[in-house]
Amino acid sequence: MFAPLDDGFLVLEGTSSFLAVARVLRRLPLCIETVEREVVQGLGPDDLVAASAPVGGPLAPALMLIELVRRYGLPLVVLPKDHPGSRRLPVVVSAGPRIRLACGIQRGTHPEQDVLCGGDEFAGLVVSGVPGGVEIEGGPPGLAIRCLPPLSLGV
Amino acid sequence: MDVEFDERVKGKRFRCRDCGESFEGVGKHPVCPSCQSDVVDAI
Repeated sequence: MFAPLDDGFLVLEGTSSFLAVARVLRRLPLCIETVEREVVQGLGPDDLVAASAPVGGPLAPALMLIELVRRYGLPLVVLPKDHPGSRRLPVVVSAGPRIRLACGIQRGTHPEQDVLCGGDEFAGLVVSGVPGGVEIEGGPPGLAIRCLPPLSLGV
Repeated sequence: MDVEFDERVKGKRFRCRDCGESFEGVGKHPVCPSCQSDVVDAI
């Protein structure tokens, strides 16, 4: 299913979790930091930044997290495997041309940008950046999709 | 430490022609993390 999207957000809502998606809209070097390495992912205007809340919660932090990445270019920090801080992350973020939701991974600990931790109901859902919007494949029955305007930070 | 990282994410080394920064890049469109230039060479 194609969902048109400009500079705002697409929010995909299930019963207990959600995924927020935005287009990058520019050329962006996204730095991915681990304990030992820095890898720079080259993103383009049609690529996506997605923030997932595997156990639900407020939407605002997810939208803010997306803006911190796409507008301000903040790096992503990957936690070491089995890091205790993983359970403190209500929202996790990923970026790339195609992002697949998976429920069997540990939040914030995997560096691959094509996989993002999501709620069980979103397992297998794939979002792909295409000119003018987002292509959505899979997802639970009754998935609610809504468009939101870009955040106006004003500072 | 995530010992699988080296096996899971394969990057290539690049050097920026504009600012000289070298970095490990992934993705189809490598971009310099220091000056945002896309004029980079694989090294």
